[in-house]
Amino acid sequence: MPTIAGSEKSECIETPRKRKLRSEEVSLLSEDTISTPKKLKSRQRIAVSNLRTPDKEVKQDSHENLAVDSLSDCLGSESRDEDQMRAVKEALHVSKAPSTIVCREDEHRRVFEFVKGCLDQQKAGSLYICGCPGTGKSLSIEKVVKQVGDWSKQACLPPVDTLSVNCTSLTKTADIFSKILEIVEPVKEDNCYSSPLHRLQSLFSQKQDSSSRMMLIIADEMDFLITKDRGVLHDLFMLTIFPFSTCILIGVANAIDLADRFLPKLKSLNCKPMVITFPAYSKDQILRILQERLMVLPYVAFQSNALELCARKVAAASGDMRKALSVCRSAIEILEIDIRGSPGPESQGPTPDNPVVRMDHMTAALSKTFMSPVVDTIQTLPQHQQIIICSAAKAFRGSKKDATIGELNKLYLEICKSRVISPAGITEFTNMCTVLNDQGILKFDQARGNKLKRVSLRVDESDITFALQELSSVRRTSSLQWKTSCAKNSRAKM
Amino acid sequence: MGNENPAEKALNLIRGRLCDPTFVFRPLSASSDSNYSKLKFIVSTSVTEGCNNSILLLGPRGSGKAAVLDLVVGDLMEEYPDSVTLISLNGLLHSEDNCAFKEIARQLCMEHHLLFSKMASFDENSQFIIAMLRECGLAHKTIIFVLDEFDMFAQGKQRLLYSLLDAMQSVTSQAVVVGISSRLDADQLLEKRVRSRFSHRKILFLPPSREEIDSLLEHLLSLPADSSFPSGYVSQFNEKIKNITSDTRFKDMLKTFLNANSTVNSLLKFIFRAVSSMNLESGLLSLENFKTALSSMQRQPKLEAVRDCSILELYLLVCMRRLEVKEQSSYNFISVMKEYKTIHDSFQTSDFYAQNVCLRAFEHLREREVICYAENRGQSQAGEYRSMKLLISASELHQGMRSHACCPVSLHFPSFYFCQLTSLATLFRTSLQFCYAVRFLHLSVTSMSRWREYVNLRLTCSISDYKQRSSYNLQDLQVGNFIYNTQPHLIKSPPDLRITPYAKNCDSQQRHLNAHINSPHPDQISYVCVLAPRSLLSSPTLQPHLVACLTNAPR
Repeated sequence: MPTIAGSEKSECIETPRKRKLRSEEVSLLSEDTISTPKKLKSRQRIAVSNLRTPDKEVKQDSHENLAVDSLSDCLGSESRDEDQMRAVKEALHVSKAPSTIVCREDEHRRVFEFVKGCLDQQKAGSLYICGCPGTGKSLSIEKVVKQVGDWSKQACLPPVDTLSVNCTSLTKTADIFSKILEIVEPVKEDNCYSSPLHRLQSLFSQKQDSSSRMMLIIADEMDFLITKDRGVLHDLFMLTIFPFSTCILIGVANAIDLADRFLPKLKSLNCKPMVITFPAYSKDQILRILQERLMVLPYVAFQSNALELCARKVAAASGDMRKALSVCRSAIEILEIDIRGSPGPESQGPTPDNPVVRMDHMTAALSKTFMSPVVDTIQTLPQHQQIIICSAAKAFRGSKKDATIGELNKLYLEICKSRVISPAGITEFTNMCTVLNDQGILKFDQARGNKLKRVSLRVDESDITFALQELSSVRRTSSLQWKTSCAKNSRAKM
Repeated sequence: MGNENPAEKALNLIRGRLCDPTFVFRPLSASSDSNYSKLKFIVSTSVTEGCNNSILLLGPRGSGKAAVLDLVVGDLMEEYPDSVTLISLNGLLHSEDNCAFKEIARQLCMEHHLLFSKMASFDENSQFIIAMLRECGLAHKTIIFVLDEFDMFAQGKQRLLYSLLDAMQSVTSQAVVVGISSRLDADQLLEKRVRSRFSHRKILFLPPSREEIDSLLEHLLSLPADSSFPSGYVSQFNEKIKNITSDTRFKDMLKTFLNANSTVNSLLKFIFRAVSSMNLESGLLSLENFKTALSSMQRQPKLEAVRDCSILELYLLVCMRRLEVKEQSSYNFISVMKEYKTIHDSFQTSDFYAQNVCLRAFEHLREREVICYAENRGQSQAGEYRSMKLLISASELHQGMRSHACCPVSLHFPSFYFCQLTSLATLFRTSLQFCYAVRFLHLSVTSMSRWREYVNLRLTCSISDYKQRSSYNLQDLQVGNFIYNTQPHLIKSPPDLRITPYAKNCDSQQRHLNAHINSPHPDQISYVCVLAPRSLLSSPTLQPHLVACLTNAPR
């Protein structure tokens, strides 16, 4: 895979850049001839960009050409921007499953091979799939299920029963057995004397009639099945080692070592499930998936370096595809607001003919997604609350982790005095501490006495210093004003 | 009631406005940069384009998160009357999964005129919800889930959040999940699979800016011109409001108030109080109204308790505070009485009370919870012998004493050395009451350099008429020969002020210093106060010396 992917990757990175360059050329051209209608332009560009792209893309683009024709014919140029945006947003929405899975070919193949092997031999088996959220686990499994259905039809095997359960939707963990039983035994017999699990176990330990079909069980978010004694999870995997079992079990969860940690007994029985790990997406993979999604569109919606920035940032943070998509979507929204804000009288001339998400949009979207609201909030807090945070940061600078409200108040008063600010009373002080506690900046311990409550700081000290440093220049002037006003007041009193 | 007084009517109108969040937040949401338009943009795109979304609204309590959301939802309901459904949950009520699903199912049934069964199980409810989501998605109806107190949902297995946000991932549903929380780290509380499904959109509610507050005040307080009020009254009222809001005193007051808590809600409370104390006869608001509102909102009950104490009780409190400063960790009534006697001896006050009177005062203090027993054990002991502790801080005691109507001056002095010296300085500067002749004050200084650096000698002199007061900062004071190069007017003004070295043991490590005041009229002369930073005063070498000095104050 790496070799193939490598060559593909390089193409993928290059093509949008080329496209962009060309689009710029085109836009330069079009500025000379202002009256050129927009649809012509876009078609022109596509034609140009088609020149040196691989055959596969050409095919797609020719499709798109048709699509653009039909699209642009029925729409005025006014609403075209909006419709483009909408199309881009739709293409990037998480709910839209991509038609082909890229960057997960290897894992996909392994899962499929496993299921195929089991079906070939009419043998039960178990598989555990793990990986961080947003790495395409459920998506790949869905595709595998579809593929298995097609394949078994082709191979003239009896159709496979499939049961996909999202374990979060189970009320009781043991409900999964009754769901399995419903499929194994669609005709409900009078079996109130035994639990579904017992019934299944007895079914699988006897020789059944030859017509029995294989069953594919997919348990998504499997860690919801973990109970105190791990009984349910254990029993579920044990179903696959009964002599006449027909289950192919695929468990999906985040934890990498779920099978090792919770199923030590299976290991001793030498029937540990096979484990396939879905690694977090790398920067190149994210980029490729994004491009794949945008490929459907007949125009360039993102500057390639903007996309790359997004991919880099997300890959460095978590490698979560959902996050990358949501960042791109919010970048589009920022662009949309930009366009909506700017138009008006001069909308004909200088507005960019084709709205493209540039670097600045992407950076805005990224900072919106990744920046914590703490800094902004601290900067806009009222003065006294800022002083409280300051004193808390001062108090917990060393090894100390918490202090009582009384101690914090002492520090607060010191700061107030050094700044010549009249301090608030203890009741108000406690109120302000409660406000900060509500916001998750401070944390109270549960204690009875008001003054004896222990307080600890929840936000990072560096955040506080950063936030307040930026303010300090402003603060200096304001505190000066404050001082002078104080002086005036005292003079007035005298 | 047609013949209502216009003042009363105006009062009712303004109060009604203050209690109506839509009225308050409407002007704040006008600009395109406001949270209202941001939120409306996101929600309306999912209504029109049918895509799912999730948003978190973050901000302190009372910053108008729910109010703005209500505005947005209300407007959308008007715009798209049949395609918006609102489901609202509260984390305080529905944080439990089963209960939350039931509530969602119930509200969905209400909305679509279906029969809701109370007996439905968790499974049935969740299946019903998924089915309803699909149906609504097909019918292009948007469901808006509002989760108030969002952080409460992020407990345990977060099944509700998972299933809601997971439903957002499918094409068939058309819904928006709006979380409201005052916890800034609300999205960090989510489990990672839930967080991954959350769209990471956050709208931060920050306190309003100064301009916004100004326009809000005008919006709230001015009467409408086209109303049933007499026209003269309206113009008079609005004129008055304009006067008040442009007054610098009002601005200062507003600033002190907003410095403590700047959310919109607290501002509304403040205005409400001010408006409620409006004079109905004149029918106009005045600056006084706002002043009383401010003082009633910034109450300090403990300070008031000290202010209302009798003089004997004050003596007892000061004694206890002195004992605490002497680092006597536990003390009881008997030791407090001993301290009381010392003070009395050193100052020769005329008001010395017998022990039983003091005990009554002591009990009284305990009933008011200004002091209490240090521990619950030892209830068999008589009250005098049980160890006590103060429930008020030093600064509260001081402020209370300062604002006390007839606190004897002698009481202030014994409490000087424990108070923070910066507050001492303000004490001297502000109150004439303290012009009490303090003859000398010894100060031992550990080293020359520290003296130079730290000691900040402040002379506060009150001359015979007790009116001309001035304070000087003798930073360039030299200890060795006590020559000070001060401003010329200082040397001129108090001719009878001389500072001499107390002891001449010129050990560079330890110097004793005496600020001595010579005066022909001892009662006219003020005092010299040597101020040092607290670190110096609390140094172990200094403390006993000072205490001794204070107790041996000359008659």
